Amino acid sequence: MGGFEDDEPPSKRARASSVEPASLLDSFSCLKPAAPLGSTMARPLPSQGKEVMVGSKGVIKRDEFVRIITKALYSLGYEKSGAVLEEESGITLHSPTVNLFRRQVLDGNWDSAVVTLKKVGLLDENIVKSAIFLILEQKFLELLRNDNVMGAIRTLQSEITPLGVNKKRVHELSGCIISSPQHVLLGFSKLGIESSNSRLKLLEELQKVLPPTVMVPERRLENLLEQALTVQREACYFHNSIDGLSLYTDHHCGKDQLPSCTVQVLRAHRDEVWFLQFSNNGKYLASASNDKSAIIWKVDEDGELLLKHTLTGHDKPVMMVAWSPDDCQLLTCGMEEVIRCWDVESGKCLHVYEKSGIGLISCGWFPDGKHILSGLTDHNFCLWDLDGKEVDCWKGQRSSKTSDFAVSNDGKLIISMNRESTIRLFDRETKQERLIEEDNTITSFSLSEDGDFLLVNLISEAIHLWNIRNCPIRVNRYAGHKRSRFVIRSCFGGSEQAFIASGSEDSQVW
Amino acid sequence: MGLLFVESLPGPKVFKCKFCGVDSASPDAIVSKEFRGRHGRAYLFDSVVNVSLGPREDRLLMTGLHTVNDIYCSCCQRLLGWRYEKAYSEDQKYKEGKYILEKHMMLKEG
Repeated sequence: MGGFEDDEPPSKRARASSVEPASLLDSFSCLKPAAPLGSTMARPLPSQGKEVMVGSKGVIKRDEFVRIITKALYSLGYEKSGAVLEEESGITLHSPTVNLFRRQVLDGNWDSAVVTLKKVGLLDENIVKSAIFLILEQKFLELLRNDNVMGAIRTLQSEITPLGVNKKRVHELSGCIISSPQHVLLGFSKLGIESSNSRLKLLEELQKVLPPTVMVPERRLENLLEQALTVQREACYFHNSIDGLSLYTDHHCGKDQLPSCTVQVLRAHRDEVWFLQFSNNGKYLASASNDKSAIIWKVDEDGELLLKHTLTGHDKPVMMVAWSPDDCQLLTCGMEEVIRCWDVESGKCLHVYEKSGIGLISCGWFPDGKHILSGLTDHNFCLWDLDGKEVDCWKGQRSSKTSDFAVSNDGKLIISMNRESTIRLFDRETKQERLIEEDNTITSFSLSEDGDFLLVNLISEAIHLWNIRNCPIRVNRYAGHKRSRFVIRSCFGGSEQAFIASGSEDSQVW
Repeated sequence: MGLLFVESLPGPKVFKCKFCGVDSASPDAIVSKEFRGRHGRAYLFDSVVNVSLGPREDRLLMTGLHTVNDIYCSCCQRLLGWRYEKAYSEDQKYKEGKYILEKHMMLKEG
């Protein structure tokens, strides 16, 4: 008998492949009687060498593993592959009782489904009641949709109410009977009009209510893999990769992902370079120098920088540059002198901003691109329109000759140095002021792109990271660079601005 | 070299570096005027600005052994005085963390 049955499957498969499509159903129905025997044959297999656990750590149960793979195959639409895996492994996605239950739900055999559900072997009575409630609710709504009001009332009174669960919903269902047919349809549309669609959704709801050992949750395999990838990325200490994650290898960014080799030396200035800033789109770099000039460099396709324009006209060393939001204009600030606005494309000076008798020491753009800000040697800050008209002015108490400030992307928040060791966050809409108090003199700061973090350089060779989203909170502290005489600046960078770079007086970049 | 970080002090009578004119100390920060430096009178200050520190070294002064750093003007790099890092006599401990500026190297405006 065993020998005979072993011969049957190959010949049947051969016949199936040669027979017309109309006969496929008959072939499958012929296969059905063999299935129980197949299951019986599968039972001795574990003792023949298939371990109960798989994986090198021995923590994955074979049957669970196969089931979530089977579930994934069915979810992807590979019906045949899923069925073959169930047959070959001898591990069914669901037990015969659960399969019967699912079929009854999809066929709308509500009473049979309830009976089958009680045979599944659930221990928690509340879970059984919740599941039965969902089934009977569907029955009620479909009867109502088919204008079988008496049947619906009977279901509500004799079957749903005695369950004693979700009374609020029972009241809503009662209201459906009293409502006019239009309201019934409106109410029903929430669950979907087509029976097949709503029954599939009911099955998903039941899947959530019933234990995962009874019905494998949706997308379980995808969820596990996403967890693994997320853990890998979060464990990636030097994560600086724009590429997506891959299932083929564990994710890991080595130190080589961080820039550490000099690839180009720019030689055009005749004296010290005091300030650098890339344009917002990354296509240009502006450099400011003690030689009283600024240079606009163009980043070519290979990432090499080519001199585009040398901007001359300042009578003093240029100590700061600022790109307009659209990168079409560049501000330069001469040291305690004036601010000049340049056209990036032509290199021409468009405007000079000055205040008689007072020097300007910093410059920046408003996010709208129509106003500029500057710090003055008399410790005040000025807001100008593009024509040079002074729009607003406010007082600072700064005592140093540098005067950093920043404006949030929405233009509401102005951040400026206040006293020696204080930074002021001023909300222009609410007129509210918040302060960051440091324990040492502040030499410079920079704002992250998302506007949530502030990087503060101190005279004591420390860099503090502040979260300024709500009340300012210092979240980190960095040390190691050298600072004794000069203004050292630091900035955010890398993928999603997850890194911090800082200059240093020992000619290193940290 | 680079962009110097220069601070200015409030008030009319501020001690400045004689050679480059940047502010060095405020009269409010004077602790004592009874000190002597290499070139004569010197003042002891609580705090100073626009200075950078030299290396730490032990030095035998009139009042005993001290560990000090020379301080230089951060703008023109002239030697202006020193900072007391550590005093070894108990009666000299009050000097620790304080600065000596030599009167000879200072301008006082007003």
